[in-house]
Amino acid sequence: MRRLILLLAFLFLVPSPARAQNLELSLSPAVITFPSSDPDTVPLVSAAPVQVTYRIRSNGNSPWSLTVLAAGDLVAGASRVDISNVTWVATPAPPFQNGTLSKTVAQRVASGNGNVNPNTLGSITFRLANSWTYNTGSYTQTVLFTLSAP
Amino acid sequence: MAAGRVPAAQTSNATLNAAINSVARLSLSSAALTFPDADPDTVPSIQASQGPITVTAKARTSPNGTVTLTIRAGDQLRSGLNTIPEANITWVATGGGFSNGTLSATTAQAVATWTGSGVHTGTQTFFFRNLWSYATGTYTLTMTYTLSAA
Repeated sequence: MRRLILLLAFLFLVPSPARAQNLELSLSPAVITFPSSDPDTVPLVSAAPVQVTYRIRSNGNSPWSLTVLAAGDLVAGASRVDISNVTWVATPAPPFQNGTLSKTVAQRVASGNGNVNPNTLGSITFRLANSWTYNTGSYTQTVLFTLSAP
Repeated sequence: MAAGRVPAAQTSNATLNAAINSVARLSLSSAALTFPDADPDTVPSIQASQGPITVTAKARTSPNGTVTLTIRAGDQLRSGLNTIPEANITWVATGGGFSNGTLSATTAQAVATWTGSGVHTGTQTFFFRNLWSYATGTYTLTMTYTLSAA
């Protein structure tokens, strides 16, 4: 009997399971393409806008943020284009903000407080600073978007 | 006890693609050259009135690709039925990769050569060999510059 009481006491003392925030994030398209252009006529090459769909539930009044981190520079064989040459323009602002890609520090794309429900859209247009110094090639890199509610 | 909050995160990957194709652009500070009349004994080599022509060559190529700028005369200098061989026109060049030369209507002559992508600037100062043997007249010819990136 004593053991049963101890077990029940333990169960009541243990914190009830935390209710995790429910976060949803999707990107469309997931492939962002910069077409080749003459640097004199198109100094800033724009890709088609990326539609961000996100939803945040069970977040109370806590903050949330959407960040982006590049896995490295744009790479084509031995050639590289520093990822800081890629910037973005995002709407609506707020909660979205413009920025510059980094391969070392996740950059904030959007932020706010509380819940975002139902699904909400944002738009991100990535732009590549065009230059005569780039080597020819087909460059690629992966970027990671993270929606978090700390 | 109050329920604790569990940090939550949702991630999504995107791929950046950038096409950097070969492209070249050439500009000259003057599209016309004029050699004023002069006494062959006192001015055996007539400098073009425009002075040094500034040549700006921009090209994107592979990491070790060759960028070449050539010039070729369309014909001899002509004034009606009278002609003067185009080889009587020479140039002196300044700038990295640029070289001096003599005009030819049969073979394109190298003006400059570089390796890799970038913007290059130099000058060409043209001279006309002045001789007593020339028939009087107003002579003209057309020169064609070709900038190529391999």
